[in-house]
Amino acid sequence: MPNPDALHKKIQEEVSLLADSINDIVKKFRELNNPIDESKEQVPIATEQLDKISEQTEAATQRMLDKVEKIVEREEEGIAGLKRIKDYAAKNHWDEIAPLVDSLIEKADTTCADALSIMDALQFQDITAQQMNHAAALMEDIETKLKRISGVLQGDMSQIVSQEEEEAKKDRAYDPHADLFDKKTDQSAIDDMFAGKQ
Amino acid sequence: MADLKILAVDDSPTMRRIIVNTLKRAGFEDVMEASDGKDALAKMKVEKFNFVITDWNMPEMDGLTFVTTLRTIDEYKKLPVLMVTTRSVKDDIVEALKAGVNNYIVKPFTPETLKEKIEQVLAG
Repeated sequence: MPNPDALHKKIQEEVSLLADSINDIVKKFRELNNPIDESKEQVPIATEQLDKISEQTEAATQRMLDKVEKIVEREEEGIAGLKRIKDYAAKNHWDEIAPLVDSLIEKADTTCADALSIMDALQFQDITAQQMNHAAALMEDIETKLKRISGVLQGDMSQIVSQEEEEAKKDRAYDPHADLFDKKTDQSAIDDMFAGKQ
Repeated sequence: MADLKILAVDDSPTMRRIIVNTLKRAGFEDVMEASDGKDALAKMKVEKFNFVITDWNMPEMDGLTFVTTLRTIDEYKKLPVLMVTTRSVKDDIVEALKAGVNNYIVKPFTPETLKEKIEQVLAG
């Protein structure tokens, strides 16, 4: 027959251990809750940035293609014009050459302007690169949080990213609001703000 | 324009190329490049510039820190600085103004705007 006091003490110890375990589990679940909530908020932002990159790259590419198509069309007309000049010169039709040359000069000027506008349109690369860096930074943050969750669940603290590792991550420079088409403040409003500075 | 030596600071090689090309077409021939604020400060120790065009978001040293640092150095307290950035939120622009930026352009910019702002800063 076991000693009732000893049995009572043993039960108390076991219950106490069980309570500690439950407390520990509750604490771990609380630790898990925060990164999960934060990750839930970041995923849609990263998705939105990726969608924006896709849309803005497409729009910028279309704009450039429009210009390239016009340039090619104009160049073909230019080649045809030069051939006509050659024919007129062979037939000594000099009066017909001057207006044709003027028209070719005009076409060449337009082509030059189109080529420069393509170069200006290439600024989209800087903007989408920043959007990609923003999305990548969000993904990296989610990865860190998932590792933390995994570490807590498996009791493997080596999976938890240290402060040093966190700081050693790639230095990503980006504007989270970078947008090819949506300027939050227009240039005239900026000019007003700087007017007193001139 | 002939004696103007410009330093163009941007971490994007594409943007630097576009800015340099735009400047040259506008008649500003003497242009050097730097990839961030730290690189710019290093180049400024070797070369003398009388105009700076800088981006904001750059690794190592961002444009705002770069301008703030410039304004603490006697030699560069009045150096004209034009910021060319994607940042268009009003609070950011106010911050740039307080840091000592002379004028501000939001990307993407047109060649006309870049030329106009440089001329405005120089006239000021």
